[in-house]
Amino acid sequence: MRPRRAGSLGRRLARWLALLTLVGLALTCLGIYTVTALSFKERQMDTLRQQQTQVNHLIAEAAELDSGTLAHKLDDGMVGRQDMKLILTRADGSVIYASAGIPVHHRVIDMRFEATTGIPPIQAVLSLDVSEDDRVLERLARTLVAAALAGAVVIAAGGFTLVQIGLRPVRDLSAQIQALEADTLHRLLDGSAQPDELAPLVAHVNELLKRLHKAYEQLDAFNADVAHELFTPLATLMGGTEVALRKARDADTLRDVLGSHLEDLQRMSMIVQDMLFLSQADRGAEARREHVASMAGVARAVVELYEAAIEEAGLKVRINGDATGLADVRLLQRALSNLIGNATRHAHPHSTVVVQIDRLDGEIALRVVNEGQTISAEHLPNLFNRFYRADAARSDAARNHGLGLAIVAAIARMHGGRTMVDSSNGITSIGLMVPTPRAQ
Amino acid sequence: MKLLIVEDEAKLADYLRKGLSEEGYVIDVAANGIDGLHMASHGHYDLIVLDTMLPGIDGFGLLAALRQSKQTPVIMLTARHRIEDRVRGLKAGADDYLVKPFAFSELVARIEVLLRRAAGTAPAPDALVLCLGDLQVDLARRRATRAGQRIDLSAKEFQLLTLLLRRKGEVLSRTEIAEQVWDVNFDHGTNVIDVAVRRLRSKLDLPFERPLLHTVRGMGYVLEDRQS
Repeated sequence: MRPRRAGSLGRRLARWLALLTLVGLALTCLGIYTVTALSFKERQMDTLRQQQTQVNHLIAEAAELDSGTLAHKLDDGMVGRQDMKLILTRADGSVIYASAGIPVHHRVIDMRFEATTGIPPIQAVLSLDVSEDDRVLERLARTLVAAALAGAVVIAAGGFTLVQIGLRPVRDLSAQIQALEADTLHRLLDGSAQPDELAPLVAHVNELLKRLHKAYEQLDAFNADVAHELFTPLATLMGGTEVALRKARDADTLRDVLGSHLEDLQRMSMIVQDMLFLSQADRGAEARREHVASMAGVARAVVELYEAAIEEAGLKVRINGDATGLADVRLLQRALSNLIGNATRHAHPHSTVVVQIDRLDGEIALRVVNEGQTISAEHLPNLFNRFYRADAARSDAARNHGLGLAIVAAIARMHGGRTMVDSSNGITSIGLMVPTPRAQ
Repeated sequence: MKLLIVEDEAKLADYLRKGLSEEGYVIDVAANGIDGLHMASHGHYDLIVLDTMLPGIDGFGLLAALRQSKQTPVIMLTARHRIEDRVRGLKAGADDYLVKPFAFSELVARIEVLLRRAAGTAPAPDALVLCLGDLQVDLARRRATRAGQRIDLSAKEFQLLTLLLRRKGEVLSRTEIAEQVWDVNFDHGTNVIDVAVRRLRSKLDLPFERPLLHTVRGMGYVLEDRQS
């Protein structure tokens, strides 16, 4: 089933306004008409009752008189009342008196009564011509209907126009959004001419634009970094191959060249694999967590791998604390390996690198702490960004492609955890926190 | 030993054929899934190297069809670095799994393991004392001597030396060394292995005239006595 389209806001509003106005005005008009009609009716009844009193009075006066006198008197009483007719009959139906008629096609209302004093009783029928009142009422009704329709049309048109005017800022906004391109995302929407109701929308869209712009810039920078990281080994490979091919070389030399190229290729392969890993983490890949009886044991395997490197750097290493928890051991070891590798490279000689494992409230913190140069505060928030190097001209850039900490951050994310970093007074501590259920 | 390679990328298939032939295997190559399935079902192979992305029938389909009739060991190759693919491959009945790009030496090592497993033969029982030139390693007493001089080694250095010595003359990649000595299978910088080997070399070779531990650029390390 297709969702119904909302259609034009202006037309819809105009339709509804017209309908509501029509209903409202119709009710008002109905009220006016009813009250008027009732008043007319009341006045007609009053007129009839007055006339009745007079007729009764005349009959009473003329009770002993002959019918001729009565007729005369009644004729006098009816003078000036062309809108009325009186018929008097005896009980047997014979007519005593009938006044001049009302044109037959006129609507009349009748009042029947028994003359109070007549003996024998006299039946009277008093008729009132109400056609004039009917005409007035009819004209009123027509006027009211016309006014209601006209009012509805005017309000509908007005509503439509108002909506069009009211939506002008939205059209302006829409034009602004349409003009946005991926590389002009930094140009935010101008909300100055917008009504208060739209201000939050403009603000939210602008926030979204800022985030998009930042992501776009990061992606852009990332692409440039990737290209750069891959270009360096590519340049070596191309140049080296070309030079090797320029002259006849003996097998040993060629073997050496090929071996060196293989190393470069392995490095490139590693960069690409790490980037794929990061992209998977970005797309929301989750770690497959299993019960880990001893985090210290997990760390020890990594420390053992680094033993030689640590010793060669003149360092010592220690694991502090332990915890049980849920984690993907392989990923956790990879994160720790990156952290220990970093710490080994940056630690002051003869200091101790500490792998600190702490159980906090619902979380396990794994940190690698080393003594070394304090990382200035401006670098700290960016440390986990891809290809970010606090020291732009680091000597071991060839070996470290700058994705190590980004991978640590990705592994933390894959565990639903986060990273942490602190550097002050020559002590740098970088690590990750992974949530772990209390029951474990 | 006869191996079937099902791989549609001609260059890759070519170098696999060349490399594996030189390792002493007889190699057939199929360039698509349909030929691959036909050859695998009707021919006799000791092992199949199977690419996942193939024209005709893909690797998973081929494997599923093959497993109806045969239990030939299969190593799958994939360009996709996804855990689901790995799980899917192993569930479909693959015996091992390699992600492209892989080191050729790693493929050879895994083929050997699978063939040994299929043949039901364990590796030859360890001798108690391993020798190479004037180097002697006593496994029982965990002692290494060279030209009669005791070499003082840490536990991991001793394991590293033993591994290199057991497979003397064979180039071992850094990945394999990390797996065999440190029992790690997470991705790590290869630098740590270089440092460990360098330290072993400083104790093993530096005090003596003839080096035994050699670096093969781009490949790894080999322990051999090159002058004898």
